[in-house]
Amino acid sequence: MVVYKVKRLLIIKQRLGGVVLSETNNSLSARRSSSRSGSANRKPKKNLIPHGIMSFIIFVVIGLWFASKNPSLAIFWMTGIAFGFILQRSRFCFTASMRDPLLTGVTSVLRSVLIAFAITSIGFWAIKYGAFVQGLPIPGMGYVVPVSFATAIGATMFGIGMVIAGGCASGTLMRVGEGFMMQILSLTFFIIGSLLGAHDFGWWKENVILKGKSIFLPDYLGWFGALFAQLLLIVVLFVIADQWEQKKAGNMSSH
Amino acid sequence: MKEVILDCFGEACPVPLVKAEKAISTLEIGDVLIVQIDHSCAMKNVPEWARAQGYNVEIEEVNDGEWEVFIEKNK
Repeated sequence: MVVYKVKRLLIIKQRLGGVVLSETNNSLSARRSSSRSGSANRKPKKNLIPHGIMSFIIFVVIGLWFASKNPSLAIFWMTGIAFGFILQRSRFCFTASMRDPLLTGVTSVLRSVLIAFAITSIGFWAIKYGAFVQGLPIPGMGYVVPVSFATAIGATMFGIGMVIAGGCASGTLMRVGEGFMMQILSLTFFIIGSLLGAHDFGWWKENVILKGKSIFLPDYLGWFGALFAQLLLIVVLFVIADQWEQKKAGNMSSH
Repeated sequence: MKEVILDCFGEACPVPLVKAEKAISTLEIGDVLIVQIDHSCAMKNVPEWARAQGYNVEIEEVNDGEWEVFIEKNK
């Protein structure tokens, strides 16, 4: 708790500017302004609002065109854009969520991913349970796939790859959209890798994946038990992440 | 009391952080490290790491999608 308070205090201090600045902070901002005047060759910022309005009109026009062809295409188009926008603005990064706890000991991204998982768990549970109660076929059951050794191998390979490439699938796509040139390279090999994976997927499915057992938690724990178990697991992970951050912060400040 | 500029333009996510970590260990107390980045993810984790270390941090967007992170080694 103490660590949090100190951190918050520091941030507040910085936000307030000159009001409660300590001496060290003052020297920082003083030198900052000197460095700012030093590099005078800084380009003035472009006004991006016209670009935004133009893009918005283009999005809507393309969306209407999609809607005239196939309404679900328009929905995919809208959710895709919304997802990308939120991902970019929130700096949400699944790679950072797994990497930063080990690299720096900061778990804020990991904890936000866990919260996102908790929200989506409740949402998916509600959709599936709703269908179950009404006696309809439960949607999305095609995604309940067997757990096997292949899951672990794939996860490890993906983890190594995403740290080197600087982003997972969604992160790479988002940063290519941002205009980060290096990750166009990542995207190229991401596509090549996906094609190779799709090419060999039949073999993996027949020899490894189908030998595993597919587990749909509500079959074992009941609908409410499954939701409870899932949320409990997320809460436990959240607490571990929080403890980990405090432990790491403690180690660092004692240096 | 010097100011060191660390050019990380074009470097993907963990690289600016690792470079900043190395650079700051060579600095004296009171020095300022300016990390130049253009990877949006590093804009989050570099300041977060520095704040967790207890350094004074300020971020400035110098251009669209380009940031300078000022880290003062105050201890």
